[in-house]
Amino acid sequence: MSEPAAWSPEDFEAQLRALLEDRYHHRHPFNLRMHAGTLTQEEIRSWAANRYYYQTRIPIKDGLIVAKASDPDFRRSWVERIHDHDGREPGQGGLELWLVLAESVGLSRASVESFEEVLPGVRRACDAYVDFVASHDLLESVASSLTELYAARIMVDRIAAFENHYPWVGDSGLDYFRSRTTQARDDAQFGLEHVRAAAQTRAEQERCVAALGRKCEILWGLLDAVERAHARPSLSPHAQLRDEASEGGAMVVLPERAVKLGGSGPEILALCDGARSTREVARAVQARHPDAAGVWDEAHDFVDEMSRAGVLDFGE
Amino acid sequence: MSTSRPLNLIAELSYRCPLRCAYCSNPIAYRDFPDGLDAAAWTRAFDQAAQLGVVHVGLTGGEPCLRDDLEEIVSGASNAGLYTHLVTAGTLLDREGLRVLQEAGLRSVQLSLQDAREESADRIAGVKAHARKLRFGEDVRALGFPLTVNVVLHRENLGRLESIIALARSLGARSLELANTQYHGWALRNRAALLPTRRQLDEASQVVARARQEADAPEILFAMPDYFRNRPKPCMGGWGQRMMVVTPDGRVLPCHGAAELPGLEFWRFPERELADCWRDAPGMNAFRGEDWMREPCRSCEARTRDFGGCRCQAFALLGDPAEADPACGLAPGHGVIEAAREEALADPPDLIHRSASGS
Repeated sequence: MSEPAAWSPEDFEAQLRALLEDRYHHRHPFNLRMHAGTLTQEEIRSWAANRYYYQTRIPIKDGLIVAKASDPDFRRSWVERIHDHDGREPGQGGLELWLVLAESVGLSRASVESFEEVLPGVRRACDAYVDFVASHDLLESVASSLTELYAARIMVDRIAAFENHYPWVGDSGLDYFRSRTTQARDDAQFGLEHVRAAAQTRAEQERCVAALGRKCEILWGLLDAVERAHARPSLSPHAQLRDEASEGGAMVVLPERAVKLGGSGPEILALCDGARSTREVARAVQARHPDAAGVWDEAHDFVDEMSRAGVLDFGE
Repeated sequence: MSTSRPLNLIAELSYRCPLRCAYCSNPIAYRDFPDGLDAAAWTRAFDQAAQLGVVHVGLTGGEPCLRDDLEEIVSGASNAGLYTHLVTAGTLLDREGLRVLQEAGLRSVQLSLQDAREESADRIAGVKAHARKLRFGEDVRALGFPLTVNVVLHRENLGRLESIIALARSLGARSLELANTQYHGWALRNRAALLPTRRQLDEASQVVARARQEADAPEILFAMPDYFRNRPKPCMGGWGQRMMVVTPDGRVLPCHGAAELPGLEFWRFPERELADCWRDAPGMNAFRGEDWMREPCRSCEARTRDFGGCRCQAFALLGDPAEADPACGLAPGHGVIEAAREEALADPPDLIHRSASGS
């Protein structure tokens, strides 16, 4: 069986763009709500603090890409992205602008830099991106960065949304978005030209499409995690909670399934009362166990796991 | 020997059934199992089961809704603190009947469907039932029960899996169990007509994978059947470990096929206490744990995960329940599975529908 013919460069680009139209996070419910102006201040803050973790991974990812390239012209161009993020001096660059944004939504620089608000799902999604680039070749790594083709557009919408709907955010907070409208466009153009020229066979083109799809999943997963942290879990009406103190825990019985809860599970579940958000549940558990490490991640992961198992529902 | 805590009680209230499905895995001679326990006896069984640590009861059969004391039985299970689940073909109860059971403490319902297409569904069931089942499914959701839809898969309906999944969605099912035909009882007689091809199963796997990606899809339970995986199924989570079956005449079993295994002595409730039947009946201990295992199971690292597979399958296909499950590629008797897969590539014979006479 012969390999299918390569797409023309135009058809290949159309494949990449169609994938973005379908799966880029501009369609994510959390992003739609952000742009429609219906996020709470707490949600905006949490998003800013979590997205900062993503921002800090970008120069690391770009460093990995530079290290894969043997073409000096490519390296010279790509290394500019690291300068864009980190600045030529302390106090400059995209990371600094993100911290300005974080401050203008009411967060302290120290708390954002400490990653204390970073959700385990966000951390995993961002780390997965760095791992992806570390373990794939230059072509796929560059292809995965092509979400920038849509980034410029999303930034224009975002600036308008913040100006219209979130007037409490200071104007200087929007400088990051403004900087990206041009940077992202130029970067994306460079990446697109590289990929169009370098992917010669249909198999290489398909690897590029798959890499971009994986990146869309990662961005989507990041917003899923933030959205989930603000939903309010409660015990499913179909679940029966049983005390199993003699066995050191509890059990939740569901149709055709029983879920054993050990360790801190029963305590976390008891806090899921439909009034607290997952984030508030996690903070409450932290407050009760100030000296325990990992409580924040554990509580979020527990709520996720229990919702997948049908034990917890998220009310509307 | 330390005995595991049973979590799930499968209460087979009656082997009678208005359907005559050609894949039924109930005992062939089901007339030998009369409905021997009245509601008061079932209630005592539920109380004793709860004391043993059981948390969940599936009221099943045959068709449990043929019992005219079902409301009392549901009350007994619910009052014992058990999560009470009804497994039914859905042809007998109307919404009011179901509401009465809800008030008695019923919490969830599993409805069996045979196919997505009425004509094919009724053909495999041997009676006209499909349209009535769909109305029942609507009643289940209207009353707010979590609904599980169960569909037994075989070569005649596998090609319509997409429609089957769409039907379960349209009924508002929370969960869809796509159960591979288990070749026991009637199903073994019809194996040549029911066993799918590998190609059908590969396509089905892809259909399921796509459906799982869709937003608000029900939970879909599907696994490649043991006949095609070269690995045995972890039958019942291990013999006499987590699941307790009580047959219509009160026999306490590790699975409902076990009564047909030769030379095993099981005990009967209420002649003895449920705990004794579970813990001490010689049959219950015949294949508990690993002492009974022969090679290749005895030294196999998979034995803690698959428990040596299915004893009933070893007996049905090899004549000896202590043999390794022939579904396993490592089993000496695996050739019988390979032969059955070959047979499935030929044109299927006609179905033989279940009947009480057993012939």
